[in-house]
Amino acid sequence: MNFLRLDIQLFAHHKGQGSTSNGRDSAGRRLGAKAADGEFITAGSIIYRQRGTKVYPGTNVRRGNDDTLYSTVDGIVKFERLGKNNKKASVYPVEA
Amino acid sequence: MIKVKITKDKSNYKKIVISGHAQYAEYGSDIVCSAASSITTTTINGILSLNKDGLSYKISAQGSLEITINSNDHITQTLIENMINLLKELESQYPTNVNVK
Repeated sequence: MNFLRLDIQLFAHHKGQGSTSNGRDSAGRRLGAKAADGEFITAGSIIYRQRGTKVYPGTNVRRGNDDTLYSTVDGIVKFERLGKNNKKASVYPVEA
Repeated sequence: MIKVKITKDKSNYKKIVISGHAQYAEYGSDIVCSAASSITTTTINGILSLNKDGLSYKISAQGSLEITINSNDHITQTLIENMINLLKELESQYPTNVNVK
């Protein structure tokens, strides 16, 4: 006799069934500080990778077209306040 | 939502298709699904016990159940009607999870 096997979850949403169109993400961009406060760096070194200006360019520091901050001189990195809410990164040459 | 589609020929039940998912709770704790499954399984096996050619059924990969009623005898039709009444009662208690038409 071809009885129907009792499956009391026959009409339940089976695990793993159905699909989702989500589940994609790009790789992390490794943003953030690349030189620490008080660290000695050479001219052209990257100080801060960012999108937009979380940190502004200060003394002897310039901003690349992807908003990366880099040093224009050899010296010591300093993260300082800029106005009430902002920060800036500066590089001060070491006195010989 | 579990959808119950009934096909009749004059006053006899001919085909019943039960498809969809109750989605009342997670797999394994879905009591609405459990009730619907138990009602249908009990009816199918009961009819087959009395008349092995009384009906035939098919379960699709997606879990829908198609019952084809071959016999118009009083017992088979009464047991099917009882199943439908129970499913309608389930629908009245869980209107967002069961729909009988």
